[in-house]
Amino acid sequence: MAFEWLQYRCEDVYDELFERPGVPRPAARPLLSYLQRLSPKELADRRLAAEIAIKVMGITFTVYSEGKLLDRAWPFDMIPRVISRKEWERTERGLKQRVNALNQFIQDIYGDQKIVKDKVVPPEVLVDSVNFRPQCVGVEPKYGVWAHICGSDLVRDRDGTLYVLEDNLRVPSGVSYMLENRMVIKRVWPELFETSNILPVDDYPAQLYDTLAALSPRSADQPTMVLLTPGIYNSAYFEHAYLAQQMGIELVEGSDLFVGDDDCVYMRTIYGPKRVDVIYRRIDDLFLDPETFRPDSILGVKGLMRAWIRGKVGLANAPGAGVADDKVIYAFVPAMIKYYLDEEPILPNVPSYLCMDPKQRKHVLANLDKLVVKPANESGGYGMMIGPRASKEEREKFRGLIEKNPRNYMAQPTLSLSTGPTITDEGVEPRHLDLRPFILSRGDNTYVTTGGLTRVALVKGSLVVNSSQGGGSKDTWVVDLDEEAEQVQGQGQKT
Amino acid sequence: MLSRVADNLYWFGRYLHRAENTARLINVNANLMLDLPRRMTLGWGPLIEIVGADSVFRSHYDRASEENVVRFMITDPRNPGSIQSSLYNAREILRTVRDTMPHDAWEKLNDIYFHVQERGEVGAAGPAQRQVFLNEVIDATLLIYSVLNSSMSRDVGYQFLRFGTNLEQADMTTRILDVRATRLGREPSGPDLTPFENIIWMSVLRSLTAYQMYRRHMRSRVSGPGVLRFLLQNRDFPRSVMFCLTSIASSLPTLPESRKTERAIERTRALVRDANIDALLKAHDGVPRLMDEIQIGLGELHEALSEAYFKTS
Repeated sequence: MAFEWLQYRCEDVYDELFERPGVPRPAARPLLSYLQRLSPKELADRRLAAEIAIKVMGITFTVYSEGKLLDRAWPFDMIPRVISRKEWERTERGLKQRVNALNQFIQDIYGDQKIVKDKVVPPEVLVDSVNFRPQCVGVEPKYGVWAHICGSDLVRDRDGTLYVLEDNLRVPSGVSYMLENRMVIKRVWPELFETSNILPVDDYPAQLYDTLAALSPRSADQPTMVLLTPGIYNSAYFEHAYLAQQMGIELVEGSDLFVGDDDCVYMRTIYGPKRVDVIYRRIDDLFLDPETFRPDSILGVKGLMRAWIRGKVGLANAPGAGVADDKVIYAFVPAMIKYYLDEEPILPNVPSYLCMDPKQRKHVLANLDKLVVKPANESGGYGMMIGPRASKEEREKFRGLIEKNPRNYMAQPTLSLSTGPTITDEGVEPRHLDLRPFILSRGDNTYVTTGGLTRVALVKGSLVVNSSQGGGSKDTWVVDLDEEAEQVQGQGQKT
Repeated sequence: MLSRVADNLYWFGRYLHRAENTARLINVNANLMLDLPRRMTLGWGPLIEIVGADSVFRSHYDRASEENVVRFMITDPRNPGSIQSSLYNAREILRTVRDTMPHDAWEKLNDIYFHVQERGEVGAAGPAQRQVFLNEVIDATLLIYSVLNSSMSRDVGYQFLRFGTNLEQADMTTRILDVRATRLGREPSGPDLTPFENIIWMSVLRSLTAYQMYRRHMRSRVSGPGVLRFLLQNRDFPRSVMFCLTSIASSLPTLPESRKTERAIERTRALVRDANIDALLKAHDGVPRLMDEIQIGLGELHEALSEAYFKTS
């Protein structure tokens, strides 16, 4: 007996695959017509096969629990999220536009600060930004690019509008899971791929390699590049090892590197010191260089900032790039796009209220039960409050926090995140999801992943998609509808 | 190759090999106990001596009973050389150098690590289960070697891994010889005990899986001098000290030159090659003294390798 898709309840939200119960969206139609023929048992079997594949392939993320380091299997849902190519092309343009403006903003902030002088961004926003690095003032990285790798989170509200929720410009993670999700589905459910015309995603490591190679200060054919990881205790260590392996570059820790008297960076090899041209760093600014930032950091490399400022080594992302992923600065991105590019933003921001502004703060404090309140500089879903779901005590706690430090908080209306059908123990049910595409910038050329990482809140009703807090992920398909239509017609003629 | 990675590969080789050798040692000792008359007082203590963990052992256990020794050597996390600790260390290392080794090795190591964690206590409990359990450990390590052997590139990383296994083996072989030969020197001898002396020498061979090859090479009955000669000087048997040292020496040319390493290895090789076994056995403490000297040589070799290739500061 096939699964009863009419029982899939998705009237109250925007569902990514269904227009309404029983009626698939055009891009998802071929996939769903295949799924509709399967029995719940067949679905459950595939789910089990995927779990085994993930364990065997060793796709894990690391969590700390009771002082122990645990390697958890990556939670994964088998039903892909489908996006039509036409919608994706528009999204891609919007992301490129946005990252372009963000990079110009960072360069401006560490340079003349024209945007402040022209009163588009108020000065106090910068003064109090914890991610502003005075050490970077006056630095001009190659091509004026600071955020070479950006991961922007997109969410869709009930009316179908796709919003940018935040931009991660420091050390965005998750791209390895995007790649591995595709591998898992190909391995355990190749039949799915026959249903639709799916654009490939596996170009990312090569694109990342080129982006990094372009930063080399020397004009050698093959620059020496490394991925700098904080080590196995980091929750994204799997990704660090994975990307290093995919790009064929060395995975290093801080102690493997040193800065010589010539201000160049070297790695310690069995053949003696070897000069490093580009570092893809996956550790935070403040741990990067004990000489410049936190003196107690044992993860970083002494003198690294000196080497970078003197142009002896390329760093991605550039130190200080995080100044633009502050959630208060976020509110000014649409204004930045107009200011630097003289264009209208293609992708809208979620409406935001800045608590530093007395009028907006008043609105926030009066509507704590309706809004999501976020601290300016946290990531991973930590430190935020979802008003409609918070207890009275929690709301009062946030009232106090906002009044004490208004600059550090912003609020947004609670979006009703879109859903996608997800296999659960209770059958196929809608679960909330978001999307994190990755954008690579290298001067004249910007690359956007095909789709991105779809994260899904596996807990019923939950809006939190972070893997550290019960989130999973899905394969993300960008499908070519025109060609599909042709194929379907062709098949129709044959039979 | 990063120095840290070379260092890690070297230690991965050592820990993995240590787990295997420890499992063999326990198994063979259990068999030996069954063959010996009660009045021979060998017991389980020598195992602790062999792995050089006397002080750690004594600070946690009051006597070297079978139960205590076996637990200490299989599952005790306080013993850095227990099977479980060795596998734990090997796994932690492999986690950091996963990109340099075939993925299958990681999966197989995970399998045995979790198996020992789950079943180690039961496996250590009684003689019958114990033998099955220890054989599982041995099989698993052999499987990992086989994965490495068949699908790891013979690049410099592989050489460091081989350094680790070879040094570990040379170390273990000399330790076993040291303890067993010294003991045999001290036991009351007499015509009625001679057959049991031979049993002990046979057990030495067995703990190094050398019995069969000994018979093929030496073409004589098992005897003290024969065993010493075979396990120290034989050029073809992979667990003899000479074989291990030669194997290390042969891969040195693929690495950046290190005079100190070459000197350390040449000196130790000469020591082993030139040893006059019959004279040593006659002399007071001759064998233990030679073993000490070889151990010092192996220590120097380790230092030289560290200095030349692993130094990260």
